[in-house]
Amino acid sequence: MDRKLFDKFDIILFLAVIGLLVIGIFAIYSATQSSVNNAGFYLKQMTFAIIGLVMVIAVSYLPPRYISSLSYYAYGLGLVLLLMVLVFGRTINGNKSWFFIAGFGIQPSEFAKVATVMAVANFFYKGDEENPKISPLQLLIAAGLVAVPAVLIKLEHDTGTTLVMLSFIVPMLFFAGVSPFILFAVITPVAGIILAFINIYYFYAFLVLLLVILYFMKKHWLISAGVFVLNVLSGFSVNFFYSKLMPYQQNRIMAVFDPSSDPLGSGYNVIQSKVAIGSGGLFGKGFLQGSQTQLKFIPEQWTDFIYCMIGEEFGLIGAGVVIILFVVIIYRLLNNAYLSRNRYMMLTCVGFASLFFFHMFINVGMTIGITPVIGIPLPLVSNGVSSLLSFLLMIGIGMNTYRHKDIFLS
Amino acid sequence: MFTLSSREREESKGVSWVKREVKIYISLGILVVAVITLFARLVQLQVVQQEQFGKESEKNSIKKIIETPARGLVIDRNGKVLVDNRPSYTMTITPFQFDKNLIDEIANLAGIDPEDIRDDLADAKGTNRFNPIKIKRDIDFKTISYIEENRDRLKGVSYQVESQRFYPNKFKGSHIFGYDAEITDKMLQESTENYYRQGDLVGITGLERFYEKQLRGEKGSRLILVDVNGREVGSYNDGKNDQKPVNGADLFTSIDADLQEYAEKLMGGRRGAVIAVDPRTGEVLCLVSKPDYDLNAFVGTPDAKEINRLFNHPEKPLFNRVIQTRYPPGSTWKMMMALAAMASGKITPTTTISCPGSFTYGNRTFEDHGGYGAIPVVRAIEVSSNVFFYKLGLMLGIKDYHDYSSMFGFGSRTGIDLPGETRGLLPSQEYFDKVYGVNKWSQGLLVSLGIGQGELGVSPVQMVGYTAAICMDGMYIQPHIVRKIYNSTTGIETPVEVKKNQIDIDKKFFETVKKGMYLVVNGTGTAKNIKNSEYVMAGKTGTAQNPNGNNHSWFVGYAPYGDPKIAVCVLGENAGWGNQFAAPIAAAIMVRFLSGNSVDVFNENSKVEVHD
Repeated sequence: MDRKLFDKFDIILFLAVIGLLVIGIFAIYSATQSSVNNAGFYLKQMTFAIIGLVMVIAVSYLPPRYISSLSYYAYGLGLVLLLMVLVFGRTINGNKSWFFIAGFGIQPSEFAKVATVMAVANFFYKGDEENPKISPLQLLIAAGLVAVPAVLIKLEHDTGTTLVMLSFIVPMLFFAGVSPFILFAVITPVAGIILAFINIYYFYAFLVLLLVILYFMKKHWLISAGVFVLNVLSGFSVNFFYSKLMPYQQNRIMAVFDPSSDPLGSGYNVIQSKVAIGSGGLFGKGFLQGSQTQLKFIPEQWTDFIYCMIGEEFGLIGAGVVIILFVVIIYRLLNNAYLSRNRYMMLTCVGFASLFFFHMFINVGMTIGITPVIGIPLPLVSNGVSSLLSFLLMIGIGMNTYRHKDIFLS
Repeated sequence: MFTLSSREREESKGVSWVKREVKIYISLGILVVAVITLFARLVQLQVVQQEQFGKESEKNSIKKIIETPARGLVIDRNGKVLVDNRPSYTMTITPFQFDKNLIDEIANLAGIDPEDIRDDLADAKGTNRFNPIKIKRDIDFKTISYIEENRDRLKGVSYQVESQRFYPNKFKGSHIFGYDAEITDKMLQESTENYYRQGDLVGITGLERFYEKQLRGEKGSRLILVDVNGREVGSYNDGKNDQKPVNGADLFTSIDADLQEYAEKLMGGRRGAVIAVDPRTGEVLCLVSKPDYDLNAFVGTPDAKEINRLFNHPEKPLFNRVIQTRYPPGSTWKMMMALAAMASGKITPTTTISCPGSFTYGNRTFEDHGGYGAIPVVRAIEVSSNVFFYKLGLMLGIKDYHDYSSMFGFGSRTGIDLPGETRGLLPSQEYFDKVYGVNKWSQGLLVSLGIGQGELGVSPVQMVGYTAAICMDGMYIQPHIVRKIYNSTTGIETPVEVKKNQIDIDKKFFETVKKGMYLVVNGTGTAKNIKNSEYVMAGKTGTAQNPNGNNHSWFVGYAPYGDPKIAVCVLGENAGWGNQFAAPIAAAIMVRFLSGNSVDVFNENSKVEVHD
């Protein structure tokens, strides 16, 4: 074979993607084959996986400047679609985030994720990496670029995707050159709030750790004190605001942190999912032989809880392979970001790597009971056309970055 | 990992490789920590605790069962149940546990060919072995108890229970009740509420559709402990986490079961529609559309052949002629014209109009069935003079024609509690301008409209609303079937709101029109063949011209004349003169309702040849 053909083709990334797609199609088949109505899901997923792979290759050949110049248009289109879905959308499983065009369900929020990463990257692409000088105004605009779609998605009651929208902004700002101290000052109160909510002693330990880190950062003592006070105030305000909520609102928040407090809702899924994965053991029960999966203990397992089918029927080996394939994809996206001389492509790759990471960690985490249950799909594996095509679009741009890594964007 | 040759470094001025490298390492560090966390947890679950979870998954597991409540009942005005539910049992086999040596015994038990079971099992091969296969529907209690008694020996054999619609009466009522069916993908996608799941039953037509939300109730859920074969071995947490389903609410209708059965019998195999209401309340007493169909065809697992036959039948049995047809009303329209002309001051009750045997407008001559000389409006209704109403149409003009008619509900939906009602068509100035062009149509169109022909289109339910309003001196009440909705589980009673409206026309004009309708039956009018000395009826016949075949026969009427208790509209498709088909049926229904006696409708006496 002509070596040049693959010279600029990120074959490792491509093969890892195909690996996940194949596992996903098998998993969907297993989770749906006994159902009369959903038995065709795997065929639909397979069709769109093939269409998506063709798109990946096509996108990887586009000149990078086309992609960057499309960023704001894609972002604008994303916002329009999100607004339209608010007005005309249908509610499925409590989320009003679906469109139906000719019988096909479309979730604009999936597309909006990709478009927002592109818009933020485009906003920062001109900066000098040695000396970025990012002004507070620029930071504010960047935050606004993410906040607008995030709020629209929140209005559709899709909390999972809203959190996803907030997951990539910090890594992207970090790579764009925003001072790590500013990011540190923003992230720590959020972490503090979560810890204070789970257990107030975690929060005390966190404050001690914070003091030590601030000491070693050697900033002006007034600034350090400011950050510390911000943390203390936000942490202690949590319980005050929580006590002001109505009991049902409190229950809803509790269920995210402690599934067993809601055994009929999200807690039920986690309990069953843990049993499924745990009973799978090292080698799994075998394809189509998982009692938890086949007896449908987990409702709509083919979407967000697909990972527990893999854990049950393919065991630790299968579950591990999936995680490793994700590591390969995230690693290749970071690698391509590293190699690229095009700041726009570098930043998009970082944003996409963050999205893959966040989705993978939260989704796998919730099926094994270590992260809150928020309804987000496992990229390239969960059943769903919008999610599948959105993640494949990210792969296409990631492969494009590898192909054009030596080209500056001028 | 991330090292570059010195040449590459030189070439890449402006890109801070070193700083970027640090950032990449920080990112990879986070990735590694996260992945180690996930792997550690996976090892904990799948290796350390494997035995515990394995047992849990094999022995007792919790399974969430969605419980669909029984749909609400439909009850008639006397408390008789019209639409009921009954349980239906389906025998199933779960291949995972089923012993093939049992095939002959099971086949014998179910009364089916053992080969059928072998075929079913072969079809299921390669799919989920835990999934029960349905072997036989509607098994009897003897079979169920046999399965129960031999439960340990007949491994993998079980049954499922489902609630099915059951119609305990002799009549059909197909167009009142409507049918349920499994929800379609399209309906699922279009549903704006998060309630339905695939496989759910949903009302498709009739009351089942209109009151779907009330009839369906609320689904509940149950957590049960099941073994590896999915068999229930107990309830979880003593059922403390269960949510009881809420049964559907019952519809208390105003339908009179006896009258409904009688009306269906009267219509027999003919095509047409019957609707009767209590004019004092707007309550529907009976509603028949013919041809009708057997609702049982849609119960359980419908036979695809039968369903296809119904959908493709040339006589359209699924079509509800009472609310969906749109025919000209013919002479039954004449009261409308009389009221409009009097109310707008074009004529008075005593104004006489000359009625020769024909009427010429422009170069077109409109025929009548006879000449009557100069007659007042009462006489014109009695003998159904066409010339009188041709002239009235021209006098009235399109604006008054439209405005007065719309007061009686024409051109809009009556709002009867059934889905798919037509608005009909009430021509207006705008309508004619749109169809023919501004100033491109002649007032001559009003000549035909005057006798209820032409573009005008009405449905039987609109006609019965109009008739009831006339006999109640202008009190228009929206016809409706359901009186109240009562949920026996929750004790919640939902009132049914009915629109009422007093039409602003002087009472003496209604008296004039009612006098004409009285004479139609009791004088020398077109329906004297149905005269009944005990129950004094009033009404009007009509014949709608049909360019595609035999004319449609109409009759609207009410009884008793002085104190109306029932108003009726009968439509016979291609049935000829109004007095031959529609009037006798309407009369029989009215007498039956008032007296409880049957009337010999099509006896020799009633077949008097009278023009319309």
